[in-house]
Amino acid sequence: MNSTFLLSVAGGQVEWGDFLFYLLTFVILVALVKHFAWDSIAGMMDKRAEKIADDIDSAAKDRKKAAELAKKREAALKDSRAEASEIINNAKKSGEEQKSNIINGANEEATAMRERAEKDIAQQKEDALKGVKAQVAELSVEIASKVIQKELDPSGHKALVDSYIEGLGKQNETR
Amino acid sequence: MNEEALVVKLFGIPFNVGNVLSGLIAAIIVFAVVYWFSRDVQLKPTGKQNALEYLIDFTNGIVKNALPDSEGRQFRLLAFTLFVFIFVSNQLGLMIEFIVGDITYIKSPTSSVVTTLSLAFMVLVLSHAMGVKRFGFFGYLKNSYINPNPIMLPINILEQFTNFLTVALRLYGNIFSGEVLLTTIGAFAKSKGIMTVIPAIPLEMIWQGFSVFIGAIQAYVFVTLIMVYVSQKVEKE
Repeated sequence: MNSTFLLSVAGGQVEWGDFLFYLLTFVILVALVKHFAWDSIAGMMDKRAEKIADDIDSAAKDRKKAAELAKKREAALKDSRAEASEIINNAKKSGEEQKSNIINGANEEATAMRERAEKDIAQQKEDALKGVKAQVAELSVEIASKVIQKELDPSGHKALVDSYIEGLGKQNETR
Repeated sequence: MNEEALVVKLFGIPFNVGNVLSGLIAAIIVFAVVYWFSRDVQLKPTGKQNALEYLIDFTNGIVKNALPDSEGRQFRLLAFTLFVFIFVSNQLGLMIEFIVGDITYIKSPTSSVVTTLSLAFMVLVLSHAMGVKRFGFFGYLKNSYINPNPIMLPINILEQFTNFLTVALRLYGNIFSGEVLLTTIGAFAKSKGIMTVIPAIPLEMIWQGFSVFIGAIQAYVFVTLIMVYVSQKVEKE
């Protein structure tokens, strides 16, 4: 039914031009595909494969680095915690020390102040008493001399007046 | 199928117009599709680039099955172009059949034995050339014909011809028979008017679907076998 069956023998003639045509067409087709499509696509596929391999490598590296960093950070955190507690302890201790210092100082000062005050008071009292004693003695002598005029010999009665004043002082003290 | 072929003589060389025209159209379709799909190539592929890359991965896989990567790289482009060209050639006749009078102008190029023989011859000659390039002329002879044993020499020589013929004729036979059956169903549809048109429609559809499948399988088989033959030439056995 088909005259071109097997080797296209039609009246003993082989269309061998077709062979040349297909040879040429296929070679040109390969060249065109290579130039317009293959180079870019295959290059891109290679590049992608490379990139993926690179990405996997760098991801592994990054993960390792991150784990290291986390470990380091944890250690640093532990250190800083210890340091903080030490600082707090120090502060507490120094605070306590300062507190006791201040209290001691205050106590000492207060004691000193009271002592001084007591001494002052005693001194003043003594001074006042001395002044009063002298004045009273003089006054009473004056009064007595005015009252008894000539009869009274100042030196002869001085002993009497003194004893009287002594009695006054005693009366004051008891009161 | 073609009853007659228009043969034109150019510079004394006989050309079958139907065959040449169909081959040209197949080649143009292949190039147009590949060109269109490969525009705007990006590192992160999208849409049509994905489709083309899937196809390239597929043909790369065929090469990888036969040859180690270091040797196979140079054959990837060949395998890809061969596969796509044969696939389109196989399907062309299922979609378009252009017949004026008794002369077929457009059909499946691979339904002509000249086409398949041309393609097989071309690639097998290339494989021999690669063998010579790889091992040197005497190394090539030794590797291809007297390994593993000189007793195998006649069989090995015979094998070169049978390889060439079987791979070409298998493709031709599958596609040619598919088109013959399609034509037969077409003739059956026209034979008794409406009575035969109706049952012929599902038959034609089923057979066309099957032919698409066969066309894809045969393109795969052709490229696979060619790569195996290439590997026999460029690999130490």
